[in-house]
Amino acid sequence: MPTITLSHVSKSYDSQAPAISDLDLVVQDGEFMCLLGPSGCGKSTTLRVIAGLENLSAGEIMIGGRVLDSRDQGIFVPPEQRGAGLVFQSYALWPHLTVERNVSFGLRLRKVPADERDARAGFVMATLDIEQFRDRYPSQLSGGQQQRVALARMLVIEPDVLLLDEPLSNLDSRLRLKMRAELKRIHGEFGTTIVFVTHDQWEAMTLSTRIAVMNEGSLQQVGTPDEIYNSPANLFVAEFVGNPPINMVPVTIGQDTDLSLTLGEYVTRSFPKIDNVGSVGLRPETIRLTVREPPGNPHCLTSHARVAGILPTGGNWIVELDNGGAPLFVSTNISPEFNVGEMLYFQVDQSRMHLFDLDGIRISYENG
Amino acid sequence: MKRKSDRMPSKSAAQGESNSRAGMRGSARLSYHIKVGWREPTAIIGALMVVLFAYLVIVPIVTLLHDAVEVQFGDARRAKAEVGAWTLYYLNRTLASPIAQVLFWEPLAHTLSVAAGVMLVSLSLGVPLAWLLSRSDMFGRRWFATALIVPYMLPSWTFALVWRTLFRNRTVGGQQGWLESLGFTPPDWLAYGQVPITIILALHYTPFVILLFGNALRSFDSQLEESARILGAKSGTVAVQIIFPLMLPALLSATILIFAKCIGEFGVNYILGLPVDYNVLATSLYRSISSRQSGVAAVLAGAIMLIGIISLLVDARLVRESRRFVTVGGKGAMSRKSPLGIYRLPATVFAALIFLISVGFPLLVLVLSTIMKVPADFSLDNFTLDYWIGRNLETVALRTGILLTPDLWMAAWNTLRIVGFASLCSGLLGLLVGYVVVRSRVRWISSFLRHVTFFPYLVPGIAFAVAYLSLFAVQRGPIPALYGTGLILVLALTADQMPYSSRAGISAMMQLGKDPEEAAQMTGAGWLRRMTSVVLPIQKGALVTGTLLPFISGIKGLSLFVVLAVPTTDVLTTYSLRLIDNNYTQAANAVVLIIAAMAYFGTLAVQNVTKTNLADGLGG
Ligand SMILES: Nc1ncnc2c1ncn2[C@@H]1O[C@H](COP(=O)(O)OP(=O)(O)O)[C@@H](O)[C@H]1O
Ligand SMILES: [Mg+2]
Repeated sequence: MPTITLSHVSKSYDSQAPAISDLDLVVQDGEFMCLLGPSGCGKSTTLRVIAGLENLSAGEIMIGGRVLDSRDQGIFVPPEQRGAGLVFQSYALWPHLTVERNVSFGLRLRKVPADERDARAGFVMATLDIEQFRDRYPSQLSGGQQQRVALARMLVIEPDVLLLDEPLSNLDSRLRLKMRAELKRIHGEFGTTIVFVTHDQWEAMTLSTRIAVMNEGSLQQVGTPDEIYNSPANLFVAEFVGNPPINMVPVTIGQDTDLSLTLGEYVTRSFPKIDNVGSVGLRPETIRLTVREPPGNPHCLTSHARVAGILPTGGNWIVELDNGGAPLFVSTNISPEFNVGEMLYFQVDQSRMHLFDLDGIRISYENG
Repeated sequence: MKRKSDRMPSKSAAQGESNSRAGMRGSARLSYHIKVGWREPTAIIGALMVVLFAYLVIVPIVTLLHDAVEVQFGDARRAKAEVGAWTLYYLNRTLASPIAQVLFWEPLAHTLSVAAGVMLVSLSLGVPLAWLLSRSDMFGRRWFATALIVPYMLPSWTFALVWRTLFRNRTVGGQQGWLESLGFTPPDWLAYGQVPITIILALHYTPFVILLFGNALRSFDSQLEESARILGAKSGTVAVQIIFPLMLPALLSATILIFAKCIGEFGVNYILGLPVDYNVLATSLYRSISSRQSGVAAVLAGAIMLIGIISLLVDARLVRESRRFVTVGGKGAMSRKSPLGIYRLPATVFAALIFLISVGFPLLVLVLSTIMKVPADFSLDNFTLDYWIGRNLETVALRTGILLTPDLWMAAWNTLRIVGFASLCSGLLGLLVGYVVVRSRVRWISSFLRHVTFFPYLVPGIAFAVAYLSLFAVQRGPIPALYGTGLILVLALTADQMPYSSRAGISAMMQLGKDPEEAAQMTGAGWLRRMTSVVLPIQKGALVTGTLLPFISGIKGLSLFVVLAVPTTDVLTTYSLRLIDNNYTQAANAVVLIIAAMAYFGTLAVQNVTKTNLADGLGG
């Protein structure tokens, strides 16, 4: 079964800092796994070592229990024997071949009989809605069409594992939405294990069964979209995921501090005693705004601040609050009934506050 | 951090175990290395090409340098040492003996003064022309942009022949020059030697300045110039303080490349220098080969090579230095045309004059010279096609018109065969080098190939030819003596063209990138399949260009052939030179016209095929 296992995987190009280092990741059979991270964090490199287009500097890669790359064991299986398909960010269609030829290339290679070949290529092209372009050359297609040809070319050989490197990043937003839905459908229909690379958090959230967040070559957190969003493992994940980004309130006093004191104006009620808190994160959409003082609630953080700005974002509003320190951004879908300069009350459930220690690692706590 | 310390076994217990495991791991590493780096033919092809180019480029040059310090056959008595022993005899003879003056120092002085003159003249013609073509509203810019480049498409010594046809005096035999027939005998200084050589080379290299400098001007963002104007600078100030510093790299580059080309220039110097014993390094080298002084020849070739290498290194250095300041405009770069006002017509006349002097008139003279019996007699009955297609002429040896001479067709066939094959080789090898450089996982192979294929660029052709001569003149190991065969020409020509074809191959492969091939790999295609179904079909165009361009430069090349060709391997260029030596002026001119036509139409054909334009940098 094509479960992909990466253990202690490192890859460095030339003598530079490693592109990925000590990566441990298991992609379960049939999973739709997204690799998410800022550009240059090593996502493509991860895909390429899985595909075998790059060899490892250290560590081991297995697919379905078969070791594919291990320096220590002296094993390296070349890409063409790994049974993985890779869709390139640039699509990399062959410019001298028609769409039909591009799609059937792998089948011709395997000497699949002509009628079966036509049937399989035809089916995939029909599924991806590119059959009407079969005799065109790649240069005569739009970006979205090319992207579908690139996908069809890999799907038709029915790979155990499908690797997609930012396949949607060159498309306009409407087409991107459509292709997202299509990818999800294909995942259901073909039942392939998919590893999908993106730097777009919404793409990752909407598509994947699990997300692996990467930064500077190392894995930050692996989890379901919900886990990634609601319990970010560290500061990086918290700040990378979410739009508008999470508000981070630094806590300056060292250990053994009563958080209600540390947070100063933000905290009105006492909070469980926790060691080593470095910062507190408040997601903009978890902050409730009220014009009148809300009733006291022991499980809430309640405070007030002045409105410094209101930014409509089409159906949503981002409200900027100012209480002398760093601004606090609040996102709301209720049309604001207040003006800039007014004093507002705001409230956050303690259960929705994210606490991080001095090293930026999430602190789990039970509400008291 | 914690994990690592956990796994660390206690030292004493693990010692023995880790020793035996280290051995196992060593072999696993080796097998991994082989599987990753040498799994595919890319690495093996790369290694083979390393061997090939080491033999075609490095070994000849090493042999040549070695010849300079080893007693050659027949010199034992004079060098007072055994054949094959170490000696400073040749260095001494060439650089410090009584005849060193004639062998080396005088030719060196001539070479340098010709080169300096050529740089001066071609810059002072080329710079204004480049500016007129790219930044002014002169009439007929588009037409001139192509027309003024023509001299560069023709062999440089075409014009030497024209000069000889016009100015020849009684210092040499054969048919009279036109001027002499008209009753005016040109003095030697005008007919031969430094003055005509400088003029002709300058006219030949002016297009070089027009191209390089014109390109720089075109990419120059005129907003830079305009902002200075807005700040109140006068146009003179703008030119000196803004345009000039920014154009400096292009100017330096053009200058030094011209210098480097002049160092190795043979044909013009041979045709116009020989009659008055005006020697430059290249002709002095040729003479020492003709008189079988291979030791001296090796020293001279080494010196030429050294000058070539130094000047190109200086170029690389200067250009890098001055490029630090350059901000060449990007896509938004505007190049506005300056109106010339009342100078519009005079400027056009100037360009037309240069065209007439450098292209129109010379070609006309050349054509006329092949259809006139007596020079400069324009009466109708003086015209004849005998020199082209006549039979039973009254000459001593060449008794038929040139087109009916078997030797011509033999030379033409040799040209096609030798140059064609060499171009095909270098085109293919260039693409392969490009492929290996871009794809090889063994890094030293890529970088070695990249450098070694570029190296011949630093070595003037005639020195390179001498290196080949010294390597292949005798049997060495399993490789027989190749001198006198077509093969030595093919090898030398291929190596000589590698700088261009490998550059082209590398850039074509870079442009293609790895993706299309890796995509094929992901669908399961092995190496051979990827090459035949993906890489080669996509690179078809690059291969055609990479073959045709060396072919065109090869058919007009002279210096390699003049050293390495023998009468049976005569190509058109050496054949015409032999005709000149025998004073068959009309026939020689006719052959050169044929070569010029081939080179010119070939260039046009390539431009048509590749949809590029040599002169694209100008006009428009
Ligand atoms: N072929 C290569 N040679 C050298 N460095 C590379 C190469 N490919 C990627 N890198 C470097 O490795 C790091 C990770 O790159 P990549 O995996 O492409 O990031 P991402 O896909 O997340 O944007 C980057 O710093 C990049 O510069
Ligand atoms: Mg990437």
